Amino acid sequence: MASKVDRHLDEEAAEKYSLGHLSARKAAEIETHLLICEPCRQAVAASDAYVAVMRNAAAKLRQEEQRPRRKAAGR
Amino acid sequence: MEELYGVFTTVIRFYLCRQLGSQDLDDKVHDAFLTITQSIRRGDLREPERLMGYVRTVIRRQVAGYIGTAVESRRNLVDPDHGAVLRDRQPDPERRAIEGQNLDLAMRVLNTLPRRDREVLVRFYLQEQSPRQICRDMGLTQTQFRLTKSRAKARFTELGQARFARRLGFSASAVTRRNEKAREQAS
Repeated sequence: MASKVDRHLDEEAAEKYSLGHLSARKAAEIETHLLICEPCRQAVAASDAYVAVMRNAAAKLRQEEQRPRRKAAGR
Repeated sequence: MEELYGVFTTVIRFYLCRQLGSQDLDDKVHDAFLTITQSIRRGDLREPERLMGYVRTVIRRQVAGYIGTAVESRRNLVDPDHGAVLRDRQPDPERRAIEGQNLDLAMRVLNTLPRRDREVLVRFYLQEQSPRQICRDMGLTQTQFRLTKSRAKARFTELGQARFARRLGFSASAVTRRNEKAREQAS
């Protein structure tokens, strides 16, 4: 039977890891797996990039949404 | 030793770059490798099957050390006589250009989504609300939540591929057709 460390990451686990939403124990398992698995490292790198860009885009969107409200309030 | 260096530096690089960025990365990777090999030689690793867990622990300690030093030197920056140098922490111009393009793509994705889906993504990625809280506040099922996220990601990937294809001289519609065909085959 494959140990936890040998298990590949699915997309959801990679995203949770990127977001830091995992318990310390689960993160440790994943990090140990990443030491031996290049495809999973690539998946995490892609997930990191996607999470970062979505976070920035969401922040920009929020700013744009709030701008007209602030203008209207200032009138 | 050369083989070990090749294997270890790839993974050490990945961790250190992810945690600390690319500044002085080669030096940090080399330091981490030396720390690991020296401690193995000293006999600190008692169970060889735990090698990777041990490597991870060493790297994490090293990351914590760098962060501690960075915090300390930032504190010292308030003292102008201390002589600390502020380094440029901006990504290089190429990296910045790619990040800018990706941000445009993500904005396009968000702006084409229904208002409700957009709200889900903002709450999840920006406000870091848990899926459970988002579902409860917005009256969604877990499946609807997952679908919203995966549709946005698929659209982002599609737009990214189309941009890449345009650079190589393919048409965006050809990429979309190919993706649709792949989806049909998968379902």
